[in-house]
Amino acid sequence: MWELIAANKRKSLIIFIAMGICLLTLGYCVGMAWLGPDAGFFGVLIAFGVWVVLSLISYFAGDSILLYTSNAQAVTHDIHPQLFNIVEEMKIAASLPVMPRIYIIDDPSPNAFATGRDPQHSSIAVTSGLLSGLNRDELQGVVAHEMSHILNRDISYLTFAGVMLGSIAMISQIFLRGSRFGGCSSRRYRSGGSGCGQAQLIIFIIAIVFAILAPILARIFYFALSRKREYLADASGARLTRYPSGLASALEKIGFSNIKLSSTNNITAPMYIVNPLQADGYSGIFSTHPPIQDRIKILRGMAGGASYLDYSKAFSAVKGGSGGIIPSAALSDSASVPIRDAGVEKEAPKDPKDKTRETIDLLRAVNNYAFLTCACGLKIKFPKNFAQNEFICPRCGRKHEVPSSNNVLAAAVASAIPAKPVTATAYGVSPQVYARKNVGWESFNCSGCGALLQLSPAFIGTSLACHSCGKEIKIR
Amino acid sequence: MDCPVCKKGMVVLELNKVEIDHCVHCRGIWLDSGELQLLLGHKKDETIEAFASAGRVKEKPRKCPMCLKKMDKVLCGHPVAVMIDKCRKNHGLWFDKDELGKIIEEEGAGKSGEISVLLKDIFRESRE
Amino acid sequence: MMTMMGLILLVLVVFLLFVLSSVASIYNILVGLRNQVKNAWAQIDVQLKRRHDLIPNLVETAKGYVKHERETLENITKARSAAMGAQGVADRSKAEGSLSDAMSKFFVVVENYPDLKANQNFLALQEELTSTENKISFARQAYNDQVLGYNNKIQMFPSNIFAGMFNFRQEQFFQVENADERQAPKVSF
Repeated sequence: MWELIAANKRKSLIIFIAMGICLLTLGYCVGMAWLGPDAGFFGVLIAFGVWVVLSLISYFAGDSILLYTSNAQAVTHDIHPQLFNIVEEMKIAASLPVMPRIYIIDDPSPNAFATGRDPQHSSIAVTSGLLSGLNRDELQGVVAHEMSHILNRDISYLTFAGVMLGSIAMISQIFLRGSRFGGCSSRRYRSGGSGCGQAQLIIFIIAIVFAILAPILARIFYFALSRKREYLADASGARLTRYPSGLASALEKIGFSNIKLSSTNNITAPMYIVNPLQADGYSGIFSTHPPIQDRIKILRGMAGGASYLDYSKAFSAVKGGSGGIIPSAALSDSASVPIRDAGVEKEAPKDPKDKTRETIDLLRAVNNYAFLTCACGLKIKFPKNFAQNEFICPRCGRKHEVPSSNNVLAAAVASAIPAKPVTATAYGVSPQVYARKNVGWESFNCSGCGALLQLSPAFIGTSLACHSCGKEIKIR
Repeated sequence: MDCPVCKKGMVVLELNKVEIDHCVHCRGIWLDSGELQLLLGHKKDETIEAFASAGRVKEKPRKCPMCLKKMDKVLCGHPVAVMIDKCRKNHGLWFDKDELGKIIEEEGAGKSGEISVLLKDIFRESRE
Repeated sequence: MMTMMGLILLVLVVFLLFVLSSVASIYNILVGLRNQVKNAWAQIDVQLKRRHDLIPNLVETAKGYVKHERETLENITKARSAAMGAQGVADRSKAEGSLSDAMSKFFVVVENYPDLKANQNFLALQEELTSTENKISFARQAYNDQVLGYNNKIQMFPSNIFAGMFNFRQEQFFQVENADERQAPKVSF
């Protein structure tokens, strides 16, 4: 891994410097055009200043801004144990020093991204669509891919390069808009304005041409950087999980989904595992991601093992050429890395309605909804701004107390566990959770049949079965 | 989600794996587009397209609880047409209390049959 | 002449400083890598301990449902105590191996008890145990990755010179006895 990180740094640095030259040249041209032929370096200074300020902001707050604008919500182990466990597994496999923070984005389109300035401060965000669409192995593959971005320091490079692209775009936009009313009019800002000289006009034209070209060039560099790193993250992801098929089939599902991600733009697009803006199959110098079919073919082609060498071989088989996507230093480290078996056995095919319900309930749990199931089978979900304390079931007329907030988390746990059909007689609902108040004898009603249940002060178990309908009730 | 009439939080009611949002104050309900999809399957689009515009009416326009844009008044069901609100961006349908009542009363409500059956079941005890 | 001497002296001092600082940095890198190897080893222990902690809950939850499988459950409990009491790397890895075996047997048996499989408590435990098994094998994998990086560094020039000097020894890879156990024990539910 270390060789990989080092090689990564060198190659990215070249692209990075190229982008920097773009930025500074733009600054030089704009400075000359607006402030006179001797003010070129002043322009460079300003352009550099803009980049430094924006970089500092994005270094310290970039992840929070990105997560905030994507409307991502933090999840804990209690809310989604499986996702949390998978991230922890990959954290262990990657020997990451700290656990990344985990977020869910409420969006039916399956996608994921990682962000953060270094492995100590990283976050992984997945959409609800990803959670409801993928099985455990596939989810593991996606998390491993994102973990590789963190491990290979891709995020910080993409962030700084993204900011540079942003600065270039911003400066050229300001310049082009500011110059819309004719070349020399802006010269009125100069002291001792001396009309519109020939030389000044030429400089001005050059500046305009460069202001149009610079963002395009920068974008090409930026996307080249991003594409390379996607292959690398796939390779590292396959090596971390020892199971390339997991990521491959996840990419298939994500690629074939036709739901569009709602909150993205050109700058954030490269952060996702699959470009949310890109049309299927299209890939050129303006693509942030390699074509998804190629990525799948390469992963599927890793027959012998899960090492970088195996990925590199598969890459050459699919794309032709000598590979070269994995830095050669990393290829030597691969003693044979065997592929493991699939972890998940064939899952019972789920009703799409169930999957949808599960995911939406999960998001409700994250948003502090309280859950209640009436004896008549109607499920009632209370938002946290629900004002009343009582609720009368419109279906059967039973009166319910609106569950208090301390039940919320437990209900969330219940809904996060895949709901499998309970026996035919029982209600296919999440288990009732009773929070003990520790005041001697306690009594409450079974939510399944309404029977009165009592707890003795000596009861120490964590669950019991209702004496009349057999429904399981958790005691906390 | 907040009620488009009272602006208060609505409870979510789920039956047979389909959800509706219900306001306990004005007793109106919101049927989300995704839920309509679950309920009607491939018939969803044609069912919704079939709703005729109610034209100019006196009733105050309501705002879609999702996009907060004004909704259209449309006529749903036959033989007795009930006027409901439909989001212009197709985020869902809103039924006021009495509109809901009419839908439930109406037997064999043609193409909106599934909706009517579901609502009838959920509000079995609260018909007034 | 004096200035010449002074210049040579200066060059020597700069060179010496350069050598010292590179030795220091190599030393620090080696220490860092050795600590990572140690951490990776500790991580395996953490996960094995977590498995030991989860098993009583599993047995407790399952007891009421799988009345005819008393023996299977007892085997798990026995294997767990054996694994917790085992001393030395070889013994421990053998004991942990038989614990994995006992558990996979149990999870095969569970197939016949739909009620247990529907129990939410059991489902939650099942996810935790599956994940812990995964974590154990990923921790072993990470340990080997770290050992590989560390050993490579020790063998490579110029760090090999100082590794010998400061007594950095190569670490052993984690080996599992039988090939079956190389993968996480397959848990079928």
